[in-house]
Amino acid sequence: MTAPLYIALRFATHRKRALLLSLVGVVFGVAIFICTQAQTQGFAQYFINSTIGSSGAMVLRTKFQPRYEGLAVAAKNTTGATNRRNYFEGVSNVSEIMRVSRQFSNVVACAPVLRGNVSARAGFENASVEIYGIDPAAQLKATDLATQIIAGKFDDFSNNTSAAIIGYKLADFLNVGAGDAIQILSPGGEYWRFTVAAIARSGVGTVDLNRVYAHARVAQRLLKKPYQASMIIYKLRDPSRAPELASHFEELFQHRTESWQEREEGNLQIFFTLRVSAAITVSLIILLAGFGIFNVLTMSVLSKVREIAILRSMGYRRIDISSIFLWQGALIASVGSLLGCVLGAVLTWGISKVPIHIRGLLYTNHFLVVWDWRHYFWATLLAVVAVFIASYVPSQRAAHLQPVDTLRGSSL
Amino acid sequence: MNGEVSLSCRDLERYLGKEEERVHALRGVSLDIQAGSLHAAVGPSGCGKSTLLYILGLLDRPDAGAIVIASENVSDLPDQERSRRRNELIGFIFQFHFLMEDFTAEENVMMPMRRLGRLRESEMRERAAALLHDVDLGDKLRRESRHLSGGEQQRVAIARALANDPQVILADEPTGNLDTANSERAFEVLQNIVQKGRKALLLATHNPVIAESCDWIHEMKDGRITASHPRGTRNSVF
Repeated sequence: MTAPLYIALRFATHRKRALLLSLVGVVFGVAIFICTQAQTQGFAQYFINSTIGSSGAMVLRTKFQPRYEGLAVAAKNTTGATNRRNYFEGVSNVSEIMRVSRQFSNVVACAPVLRGNVSARAGFENASVEIYGIDPAAQLKATDLATQIIAGKFDDFSNNTSAAIIGYKLADFLNVGAGDAIQILSPGGEYWRFTVAAIARSGVGTVDLNRVYAHARVAQRLLKKPYQASMIIYKLRDPSRAPELASHFEELFQHRTESWQEREEGNLQIFFTLRVSAAITVSLIILLAGFGIFNVLTMSVLSKVREIAILRSMGYRRIDISSIFLWQGALIASVGSLLGCVLGAVLTWGISKVPIHIRGLLYTNHFLVVWDWRHYFWATLLAVVAVFIASYVPSQRAAHLQPVDTLRGSSL
Repeated sequence: MNGEVSLSCRDLERYLGKEEERVHALRGVSLDIQAGSLHAAVGPSGCGKSTLLYILGLLDRPDAGAIVIASENVSDLPDQERSRRRNELIGFIFQFHFLMEDFTAEENVMMPMRRLGRLRESEMRERAAALLHDVDLGDKLRRESRHLSGGEQQRVAIARALANDPQVILADEPTGNLDTANSERAFEVLQNIVQKGRKALLLATHNPVIAESCDWIHEMKDGRITASHPRGTRNSVF
């Protein structure tokens, strides 16, 4: 054990109350940081999983062709030729695009979807909905639809072409359950009758309120679309790399391709803002703990002026003196972070058991949390940096005390 | 003065304070202290005794002049090197003993050894025990220094000053805070150590008995050494 560490330990044990207060500040700062990050990211992660599970990690839709403008000089401030496109509704060469797509290692599965806006009716209730014409087998591979079923059976849908799956919020609104009938108003003005084979809950409010799944061929006839699919949805091995793949597919297939990050940009920004806001708030707690440590160590330096002069007279260098106080800070930071991480984990577990009734953007009955080692890493790093800064100034003050001034003026 | 010189200084000058309050604390002080000899600096308060000790002990820097310890000029060494020399070559004893109050007698004596870092923990403990035994405190190793009497604390301070076996011992009024019996005992311990260990001792004192027991007495006044006498050749100035 080095001399400064030995002295730091001995000094620390002499100011137990002050040390305990400093420690409590760091412990609570770290614990609350971990807990709030686990919560805010928990809600965000749930939303991301739900949206990817119901609408795919990536969606390819709408064919485009570059628009050529002859020899005309481009207007000032235009961004270039890539932004000038002619769009054509629907996906062409669906089978070929899906075959080529499956060659990419990041693509787990893909499924064609024919999408359109219609009106649904049951009894006296009417609702504007999105109809998703799907291939049941392909959809099961590309989305979590099977696990989202909360009433009825997916097989009843697969085996019956006039069956539909609807979102649970829509079912509530139309006041129907599995086995009941709904009517869909086609663009041609005819009502088509569907049996509700199952009710799904994706967890995403807009999906659960607006979506009706039907068989692709039935939807194609109902919507009177000349093409097989208006989009292809993809399940990816690494959804975080969706933007890169989307960009590549857009170039490769000449179809507009959108990643889930782009699709949910607005909601993700809200979650991100909440996380940053929580992090800033909790960082203030750690900062306050830092001020506390600064005070404690400054008082410690002032109360140890005599001891510092004695140590200097024995040949202790300035760096040894500053190390004593930095070691005290390091002890507070390490013990405080360790206890804070344990308390943070306990708080996170406790929070995850707290009941909460959310039925808006998300569906949940309890607080959502994420267990992520990075929360612990960042909380510890923040505490270490705050404590180091709080310790550095008093340690430098101690190192630069002139021993002669103390020795000359001291009479105990 | 014959023999091996352990500590020497030449033409030391030191100003204290700033501008109008500036005091010329040392005015060209020169001194040679041989190994195995006891030197006393005497004089009225404020004559520069403590300032001289702090400068010779490398705790303060002179404004001019040179200091040689163990044949090495240490006047212009950087702070880190001065600290190292202080740890290795110099032992300090102060009037108010200046022990670490919450530390035991043994821990106090081990402090200079910890900085030096040449001994293992067990070896440091053994050496501390031996030094405390030499000053008759062998039975109070584990006692916190604040629970020791004034005389015992000063003897712990003497043991601490000897921890790294220094060549030079500087003592600022080492008996100034002790009663007569304890003063005599502390000085006796110092005398034995200096003579047996061939160390150089310079002490500042107001105690005439102690001063006259030293090998040399240096009279100081207004920052100067006005006279230096070998033992027994000086009329008392006290």
